[in-house]
Amino acid sequence: MLSEAVRSIGANLSTTVAATMTVLIGMFLLGLVIAFATYARSWSDDVKAGLVVKVFHDRDATPQQVNAVRVLLERDPRVDKERIEFISAEEGLRQMRRQRPDIFSNDLPYNPLGPAWTVYPTQAEDVEEIAAAVGTGTKASPYPAGVHNVTYGKEKAKRILRVANIINAIFGIAVLVLLSAAAILIANTIRLSIFARRREIEVMKLVGATNWFVRGPFMLEGLICGLVGSLLAVILLFVSKEAALPSLLPRLTSDPDVQALGFWLISLILLGLGLLLGAAGSGLTLRRFLRV
Amino acid sequence: MTAVEEETFVTDTPTALAEPGEQDPTAAAPGAGAMIVFESVSKTYDPHVVALEAASFVIEKGEFVFLVGPSGSGKSTMIRLLLKELEPTTGRIIIGGRDLGRLPHRKVPQLRRNIGCVFQDFKLLSDRTTSENVAYALKVQGESRNSIRRKVPEVLGLVGLTHKGNSYPDELSGGEQQRVSIARAFVNHPPLLVCDEPTGNLDPDTSVGIMQLLYRINRSGTTILMATHDREMVDKMRRRVIALEDGRIARDERRGGYASE
Repeated sequence: MLSEAVRSIGANLSTTVAATMTVLIGMFLLGLVIAFATYARSWSDDVKAGLVVKVFHDRDATPQQVNAVRVLLERDPRVDKERIEFISAEEGLRQMRRQRPDIFSNDLPYNPLGPAWTVYPTQAEDVEEIAAAVGTGTKASPYPAGVHNVTYGKEKAKRILRVANIINAIFGIAVLVLLSAAAILIANTIRLSIFARRREIEVMKLVGATNWFVRGPFMLEGLICGLVGSLLAVILLFVSKEAALPSLLPRLTSDPDVQALGFWLISLILLGLGLLLGAAGSGLTLRRFLRV
Repeated sequence: MTAVEEETFVTDTPTALAEPGEQDPTAAAPGAGAMIVFESVSKTYDPHVVALEAASFVIEKGEFVFLVGPSGSGKSTMIRLLLKELEPTTGRIIIGGRDLGRLPHRKVPQLRRNIGCVFQDFKLLSDRTTSENVAYALKVQGESRNSIRRKVPEVLGLVGLTHKGNSYPDELSGGEQQRVSIARAFVNHPPLLVCDEPTGNLDPDTSVGIMQLLYRINRSGTTILMATHDREMVDKMRRRVIALEDGRIARDERRGGYASE
């Protein structure tokens, strides 16, 4: 059967090459999309990780009031228990002096700050609700005793989350469109090659070939197209990575936490998807056009 | 294809299936049965085109039967029904003791391996040599390379094309191409050979050669059903003739001519 598949690929070289090129282009773009998407995700995750809820106590808050807030925060399931940070008034002043030396100069007569809490959510999206659970400062939901403000970087948080969601959605759609385009093109190519070989198929059926003997070469052809196409795409991606990244790198953030998915992992994904596309494309067409 | 498989497929038909009056004296021997049984088979293409209407006949093993009739009289439909390319609208078809209506779809390749097919347009693969075309039928059935190497020259010898084994179809004359297609149909020694106008594209002299070949094959015990327009041939051979007209069997004569006498 293998020899029949190789023979049929040789006899229908142009359609086979067309299908392989389609996979190549689709997979190359998909590789780029995956790289950029994972990079963007990683970036947005990094930014999201910076989203925190801050609870500011009054200067004269009693230890009991401070403790009550801690209990409140620890009970909230949306809060990352490991990362509830207490910032004493002195520590807060030190931080502010570093950030805004123009206002918090060394010659302040007294420390204007009270103690504070920095709370990290397990899900960045929850910052608003965590803050609201502590209190919004309105009549309906006043701050707890000894607390004068709760912040969560309202506008910044909303904008970051919106951008991150849009990036994810766009990349998701792009990947879906590319994948289905590649599958449809493979299916079309297989259909062409079935059409080109309908006489051979007729003879096959006539002399009593089993259905698998008729289908086999086409399926193998689809798989080979998928595999070779994605292999070429990986090579092309590698070449363009080596050529483009050195000039691109300085412009990107230097934060080591922000990373695209590893190249070899992307390659593996592409190869797997290529095979899957080949199988799906040919399987789809065979079912419809080759009632054996 | 081994002899054992052939035998398991072509089991003996219970004699009850064959109408007693139709039976050939030579085929009445114990263990012999009908090769093809049509029991009031009708085929209607949607919605009102009747291709075959209540066709009933029995063809015994080893018979040589001509199927005659004008174009559109149902000959091709009958052949396609035999190969289970089509399903009858009503009625029953039994081949070698097997009811085709109850033959599961996956067994259809097995059925076709037991029916050699020869067509007017030869249906050879143009990118393969004579030997490869014949070997193809064996390869498709998963035959081993050794047995292919043994069987192909044997059957090419039978059809008289030993010296043309490496020629491509377009290097052969029409008669030679038809011999290749007969070789391909017969390489497995199927019990039944179905021919759809095998001499339709050939000149009279070449046709005689093809008919002689088919006659030889028939004498070796293979049942042959041949649809044809070749009036002269039918009249000369004096074999059983089933004549179709508008999908009905108009005539079934043991030693008939092309036209009714």
